[in-house]
Amino acid sequence: MTEIATTDQRPSAARRAMTRLSSNTTLVNVVGLLGAIILLYVYLSSSATGFLNLSNQLGLLRQAALVGVAATGMTLVIIAGEIDVSVGPAVALSSVIVAESVHNWGLPTIVAIIVTIIFAVTWGAVAGALRARFRVPSFIATLGLWSILRGIGQFWTNAIPVPLPDSDPIMNVLAGSIFGVPTPAWGMIIIFLVIAFVARRTSYGRSVFAIGGNAAAARLAGINVARVRIILFATMGLLAAISGIFLAARLGSGNAGAADGLEFDVIAAVVIGGTAMSGGRGSLIGTFLGVIFITLIGNGLVLLGVNSFLQNVIRGAIIVAAVLLNVTLSRRRSSQSED
Amino acid sequence: MVTTTDSAGREIIAQAVSVTRKYPGVTALDSVDFEIHAGEVRALLGQNGAGKSTLIRLLSGVDVPSSGTIRIGGRDLGTEGVRGATERGVATCYQELSLVAELTVAENFFLGRWPKGRFGIDSSAMINKARQTLARLGSDIDPTVEAGNLTLAQQQIVEIARALQDEPKLLILDEPTSALAHAEVALVLETVRRVAATGVAVIYVSHRMDEIRQIAESATIMRNGRVIDTVKVGESDTAAIIRLMLGTDPNAQKVVNPTREFGDVMLEVKNLTVLPKVTDVSFAARAGEIVGIAGLLGSGRSELLRAIAGFDRLDSGTVLVAGIAQSHPTAKLMRKAGIGLTPEDRKREGVLLNLGIDENIVMSDFAAVSRGGILSSSRIRKSAQDLAKRFQIKAHDLSEPIETLSGGNQQKAVIARWIHAGARVLLLDEPTRGVDVEAKGQIYAIMRAVADQGKTVVFVSSEVEELPLACDRVLVLRDGAIQQEFTAPDINLSELLEASMASHV
Repeated sequence: MTEIATTDQRPSAARRAMTRLSSNTTLVNVVGLLGAIILLYVYLSSSATGFLNLSNQLGLLRQAALVGVAATGMTLVIIAGEIDVSVGPAVALSSVIVAESVHNWGLPTIVAIIVTIIFAVTWGAVAGALRARFRVPSFIATLGLWSILRGIGQFWTNAIPVPLPDSDPIMNVLAGSIFGVPTPAWGMIIIFLVIAFVARRTSYGRSVFAIGGNAAAARLAGINVARVRIILFATMGLLAAISGIFLAARLGSGNAGAADGLEFDVIAAVVIGGTAMSGGRGSLIGTFLGVIFITLIGNGLVLLGVNSFLQNVIRGAIIVAAVLLNVTLSRRRSSQSED
Repeated sequence: MVTTTDSAGREIIAQAVSVTRKYPGVTALDSVDFEIHAGEVRALLGQNGAGKSTLIRLLSGVDVPSSGTIRIGGRDLGTEGVRGATERGVATCYQELSLVAELTVAENFFLGRWPKGRFGIDSSAMINKARQTLARLGSDIDPTVEAGNLTLAQQQIVEIARALQDEPKLLILDEPTSALAHAEVALVLETVRRVAATGVAVIYVSHRMDEIRQIAESATIMRNGRVIDTVKVGESDTAAIIRLMLGTDPNAQKVVNPTREFGDVMLEVKNLTVLPKVTDVSFAARAGEIVGIAGLLGSGRSELLRAIAGFDRLDSGTVLVAGIAQSHPTAKLMRKAGIGLTPEDRKREGVLLNLGIDENIVMSDFAAVSRGGILSSSRIRKSAQDLAKRFQIKAHDLSEPIETLSGGNQQKAVIARWIHAGARVLLLDEPTRGVDVEAKGQIYAIMRAVADQGKTVVFVSSEVEELPLACDRVLVLRDGAIQQEFTAPDINLSELLEASMASHV
């Protein structure tokens, strides 16, 4: 009787390898993005003056870090079938909190950093609890948070930057470089490695994928869905705090109006990186390349001297095109299982 | 632990002792006695509503009996629930698959309790264990493949294997093959056979007699909440089993449908194929005729209707409406040609719960209730009122949301929708599902009234008893093709059931 089993399940080794290759959307995405990034490098190095300068390249890394740190957490959030649109104001308010703690409350820098992290994790956890316990859609919960955080920051500071002391050694390290690479870029790389490990090799990470793929099955299997959702948004708070602290260090002040529209770049980077908005599917390596891609586009458009209003139009078009490609690919993949 | 054995010395795994389960207004189980032994494959047979699912729910701890006891492993289950039943070795695979399509087979195996290694999840241990369990079932499904890339039969096997890794003593399978095409069934049956060979008791719910004959040694037949009999499958012929399922002598309740005169052929289907469920279906239906389609869950009934209505692509074949061929039907084309389909899942695909009853009726043709391209509320009211009256839809106010209506009245509104659109052929997929007896009678009457106006009605039902009541002709769909045809007044219930359950005795 084993004959039945073998003939039915094994078309041929070669065909199986082929289907597996074409069905691996992550791989398709990574290769595609790498190609796009290489093309951008080739094009920009020949037509945008100063693109290959060391200072521009280091600036690129700094800019990428601002997007990238939050994008790691956002990848997990979107894989779980959720969304967080409050990133920009969260980063800005974090920069304000750390600056206020040092400047007005006279806390030591390290304590100010811890205070900032505690605040940000708390508001993230509140958003997560709204989603997990009270079933407020995460888009609405974080949209409210977006407005509240921006408002708090501006009300508190009257939208005036809060200065940090010039000679703070910790802030100088955070604003500077280690082995010639900007500190925020190190931060981003470390966070990417940690989150990638969490996503692939821990129960929590796999639970995130399971919940995004089939929340009912995950619940039946005994996964604590509410807990995972709360941790997801609390993590977003933590990452916003880290970004906000780096930003304050770089600007030398906390600024309630900073990081305007950052959530747009972060979500775009994740989606360009091949993470499905419908949940269940995505990768950190894809997001990393998405971050690089979107940063390159932004930098390139500036160097090419494109009108800054027009830049928004072009970035928007590129992002929609990338998502269109992503959706088309994943639909083709799942067409066989759809009725 | 007390080991209970029967006279033959085999261990009794699970037992129901004079169990009764009452729900408000219904006695779902009526002093049922049931037992199953190690290594036994027991088929559970019965019509819809016979009490099979309730018995399963009690054995797996999802529900508790109103009176009587459930014993698992010799001890009273009491109110220990699913957890208690699982600890004593009961594993249940329900009809709906519960795999996460985006995770690998191995990850699905250990969903929520992934093994920990030195560096996070121990994938190699996970993969090896999954491979071993699958191999024990003679399956070479690759544990590193994403579950969504497997066929339905393979997914079903993964579910069974996953249930087996806790080494259960009792495995309950609720219609595991109903979603599968014929060729895939053998794979699942072979798996069940291997499971039983390791000493696990298996309760197998299915309507397909040929499957039951292949794997079960005995079958328990239920009817109206009671266990009627437990028979040796090898010693009973299908007709005898069907008599037990139906109860009364089926020929006693024969309905005399007058022989009618019909008009021209309105709907003709030639060699229609929609893989994998529908392989070769041909039939014709005339104006004024009600044609019933009998077939088990998974026999391809809904797929056939969906294809005729243009919702699924035909792999081959032709559909003719009033003699005009449609070789590549689309939903738009078929609607124009006069075909209306009321779907099986009324709540999800039939009605728009939040919209008014009137809007639910006229939505199939907004142009008919518009003036100069703008919806006219007086026209909507008039059309909806006319149809509601004709179809006896009981509602105080037709502008109320349709969710305020009973299931039967909702169904009438969905049928009315297609009369509003001027459909000539009505395809009704399980219109009487979840509907009370009175509304059922009214739906039959509506079908007849519509047919008498020269329309064609195709009526799909899993409740075989109602087909002779309503139809002029009944086609039996099995394994994706029409196997037999009965014409009124010679529609014999037991022959009908036998033909759809397909026993190759």
